Amino acid sequence: MNRCVCTLMAVLLILIYGLVGPREAMAETFVDAVGRHVRINGPPKRIVSLAPSVTEILYYLGLGDRIVGVTMFSDFPRDALAKPRVGSYAHLNVERILELEPDLAVGTKDGNEPNAVALLEQAGLPVYIVNPRHVEDVADTLFSVARLCRVEEKGKRLAESLTSRIKAVKEAVKNLPKPSVFIQINIKPIISVSRHTIHNDVIRLAGGRNVMEDASVTYPTVSVEELLARKPEVIIISSMERGGRFEKAKREWMIWKSIPAVRNNRVYLVNSDILDRPSPRIIDGLETVARLLHPEIGRNQRTE
Amino acid sequence: MVSLALTLALAAAVLVSLVCGTAKISFMDVLKVFSDESQVKEATRLIILRIRLPRIFLAGLAGFTLSLGGLVFQGLLRNPLADPFVLGVSSGAAFGAVVGIILGFSFGLGVPVFAFLGAVITIYLVFVISGRGMGVESSTAILAGVIVNAFFTAVIMFFIATSSEDRLHSMLFWLYGDLSQSRISYSVIIAPVAVAGFFLLYSFSRHLNLLAAGEESALHLGVDVQSARVVCFLVVSLMVGLAVSFTGLIGFVGLIVPHLARMIFGSDNRLLMPVSALGGALFLIAADTAARTVMSPSELPVGVITAFLGAPFFIYLLKARGSRWARR
Repeated sequence: MNRCVCTLMAVLLILIYGLVGPREAMAETFVDAVGRHVRINGPPKRIVSLAPSVTEILYYLGLGDRIVGVTMFSDFPRDALAKPRVGSYAHLNVERILELEPDLAVGTKDGNEPNAVALLEQAGLPVYIVNPRHVEDVADTLFSVARLCRVEEKGKRLAESLTSRIKAVKEAVKNLPKPSVFIQINIKPIISVSRHTIHNDVIRLAGGRNVMEDASVTYPTVSVEELLARKPEVIIISSMERGGRFEKAKREWMIWKSIPAVRNNRVYLVNSDILDRPSPRIIDGLETVARLLHPEIGRNQRTE
Repeated sequence: MVSLALTLALAAAVLVSLVCGTAKISFMDVLKVFSDESQVKEATRLIILRIRLPRIFLAGLAGFTLSLGGLVFQGLLRNPLADPFVLGVSSGAAFGAVVGIILGFSFGLGVPVFAFLGAVITIYLVFVISGRGMGVESSTAILAGVIVNAFFTAVIMFFIATSSEDRLHSMLFWLYGDLSQSRISYSVIIAPVAVAGFFLLYSFSRHLNLLAAGEESALHLGVDVQSARVVCFLVVSLMVGLAVSFTGLIGFVGLIVPHLARMIFGSDNRLLMPVSALGGALFLIAADTAARTVMSPSELPVGVITAFLGAPFFIYLLKARGSRWARR
């Protein structure tokens, strides 16, 4: 009993000290997307990006020259290709990161291994974790990174513009019928996405309905038979490259005339980079998909 | 003598391994980290002490236990194929790890605990399945291991194919051995078990020698074959299960190093035990150094290197020198 009281007192004292006690002049503590407290001294000047989407966000905020390292597949914008590589997002090269002497690392909740993050923090590097799960989270993520890097003004402006673009799309498709959509993210085997993905979010906001949204697995493997049964009105093939294998995949769909999407020639290829990265470009993806699902809005008004 | 030479070689390997890596750090800087800290950059100090050193320790300890485990299993079962992995440790540990991940535990300490339990339970299972047969026909144990492996591999693939848990993807690295996130605390946990295990097993080295001459004769010479088996089996399982739970699955070490040792030094287990254990440590430190440097800045799973280097080298040795197992 006594000990409880003591502990309580101690905790209280620490709390009070934290509130009124002296502070270091420049140090500031930020709470990241997973609730961790990240302490940063002054505006970060040497940033390592731990995921391609984070790299895009940093560049979008005009922080390109503060980036000292990026993960593999950080291919946008083109400038990012010239930055030193620190391993892949799923498998970070901790040694390489520390060698670059960064003062901040920005990672993602699902991409980076908690163990690698813990190692970086043990070595004294603040790691800020973002977790944009939905299209609409991207603006918030952008703003939080902007605050972290002390470019709040710019971040606010850009985040607002992204939000208003999303709003414009939502407005445009509000009263339109919702076509059923099948989105294919891998060719062999045919893999689609369930409702727990950002792709699903894009389809939903663009005024469509994902035919695989009820799948029990996040990235379900689907047979052609299943597709014949579900009869999507639109098929979107999310492709990393133009032409080649994906054009072939499109041709392969063309023999299944009983699928409405095939019959009406509504099988489209969309660059996967603007569909699966929670970066500002996902809004481009959203606008692209909205125009594919609702050609009529393209005629009446430009969404951009 | 041989052990001393190997220990020296091991020390040299540790030094070389400390110098090699993605970050360019000179030999002099490495020495300075240990002698005069103030003269090196903070980043260098962190890389050497927090990243490379824990990793080298873990690689060494894992090589030590896996190789020793292989030697003892081969001797116990009198079968050249026996090795902790063939007998089910790998799939058991992997199964435990997957369960841990799905239940939401972290890779730091939770998953290793599950992997350890998985490994030990599985090998116990193999032991029980083959229990009756082991006295007479050791291939029953190998078969039981192979079958248990196949079953758990299927279960793991089922989880990977159907689970929505994104973290399972980092499993893929773990399945081929991953030392990249070693912490010094891992080695602190493994080291005492490995050392104690070594001395315990070493006390059975004469039994193993007699067993090599055949079970009947061992019995006649007063060896309690069954209890020696049980104790050795248990000790190796605990040791290997513990090491594997932190490193992921690193194949081939338990096969190649003991066989290599036998080819060079003959069949006396009193010599083979220290030689295999130290050789295993040396081999895995070298393999891991390669794993983190050849494709830098990306890393390869260390299991890829051990198999890639190990298999051809092993085939060459078999062809050129002939295996002692074959000759006997």
